Amino acid sequence: MPTVTYHHDGGTADVLDVEPGTSLMRAAVRNGVRGIVGECGGQAMCATCHVYVRDPYLGALPDISEDEEEMLDCTTAPRDADRSRLGCQVVVGPDLDEIEVDVPASQV
Amino acid sequence: MTTQANDVRPVPTAEWVTIPDLFDDPYPIFQRLRAEAPVHWVPAVDRYLIVGYEAAHDVEQDAERFTADEAGSLMKRSMGHSMLRKDDPEHAAERQAYGGVLRPRAIKAHWNAVFEANARVHLDQLKAAGPGADVVSHFAAPYAAENLRLVLGFHNATADDLQRWSQTLIDGTGNYADDPDVWAAAERSSAEVDTAIDEMLAHFRDEPDHTLLSGLADMPMSLEALRANLKMTIGGGLNEPRDAIATTLWALLSHPGQRERVLAGSRWADAFEESIRWVAPIGMYPRQATRDTVLDGLQIPAGARLGVHVGAANRDPAVFADPESYDVDRPKVPHLAFGGGSHFCAGAWVARASVVGVALPQLFAELPELRLDPAAPATIQGWVFRGVTHLPVLWS
Repeated sequence: MPTVTYHHDGGTADVLDVEPGTSLMRAAVRNGVRGIVGECGGQAMCATCHVYVRDPYLGALPDISEDEEEMLDCTTAPRDADRSRLGCQVVVGPDLDEIEVDVPASQV
Repeated sequence: MTTQANDVRPVPTAEWVTIPDLFDDPYPIFQRLRAEAPVHWVPAVDRYLIVGYEAAHDVEQDAERFTADEAGSLMKRSMGHSMLRKDDPEHAAERQAYGGVLRPRAIKAHWNAVFEANARVHLDQLKAAGPGADVVSHFAAPYAAENLRLVLGFHNATADDLQRWSQTLIDGTGNYADDPDVWAAAERSSAEVDTAIDEMLAHFRDEPDHTLLSGLADMPMSLEALRANLKMTIGGGLNEPRDAIATTLWALLSHPGQRERVLAGSRWADAFEESIRWVAPIGMYPRQATRDTVLDGLQIPAGARLGVHVGAANRDPAVFADPESYDVDRPKVPHLAFGGGSHFCAGAWVARASVVGVALPQLFAELPELRLDPAAPATIQGWVFRGVTHLPVLWS
């Protein structure tokens, strides 16, 4: 099963085994990972599941859609030009068996 | 939810709660209810009333156990069957049809300039009315109505029409007392909106523009669904920004220290988000249990009609310290005023742009001496929808 690691400020991390086809937002909300809100349920509408993807995994990500692009300009924590993504738009599966992300200090 | 059977409690009944008391000031009632349980059966409103944050959040994130497609819905009767009372995938398809009209890119390209022009016009009208004027009827309501009229594309109606439609359709949605006059007014507005939509759709098929109605003109949505969705949008798109402006103003004018900090740091977003946490303009919305289930330790029967009170959840002391206070400096915790899950408010970014980006900063820039009128106190009312209905202000 794919593995997702959510790194928090202060060096702690949540490591989850996640069913293929699940988004980073959904997995985090279901398992109570702090710092990921996911207010809009995954419609790329609220910008509260912002994550910074760690470098080794950036090449495996899907392209950023128009909807995600405009939401990434609305995040509370500053956008990183390369690493910022919405957790609801990144789905684990055959093409993404493992990923590590940093959770921003704030989503609201 | 994996709560064990022996932990499950029956839902208590709150016979003592009355609609007039809720309408007047629901917050002391919520405090008393919450101290006993997060969910109560309230005979006066014929619903399981949810007043706890965790329970409200669980319901809005789980459409399989709690459907939005409620039987006997007052909103369906008043406005028709809109996407707000449908579940995915039906809801998602209709929501998708709204496209980008209400999203940040379109707001930046088209609507911010409209909001700024409307704010100037209505600030002039407020100033012309003179000190002592009611800022709700002279600014917040007509400003929100004109913004909505232009975003939706009702070029064949006036802002006053929009105000009448919104209020009467919303009154129907909240007509728990089943007042026949309220239903009659809602029906009249519903017929007027249908006629206005038909006219504009014909126009936009030849001459499209950036408005919501124009975008919907060639969408594969039934006319019945389109009409219902527009009525829902007229309701939520007018009264909620109106109430958010008025409540935020009232909060800032009655908390001088916080007003000073907000002004010094241009912290309009903090002032707005805290205001809709403190007094959520849409207080309560319905859901219905699809099966016997457990909600935050309480047994809910299949078919139970729930009232998810986000206004109460937003003052849950388990989540917000000192929740009854307006405090722009409180630790950031997500409030539920825009709802959550797939029904998260489609107008959230329009509200932020028009209220945070334009109305609040322009009001205080134009009228820096704005203050409450000690001779004419504000009136605040409602419990399904709640807001400052009358806010007389003075300036030098």
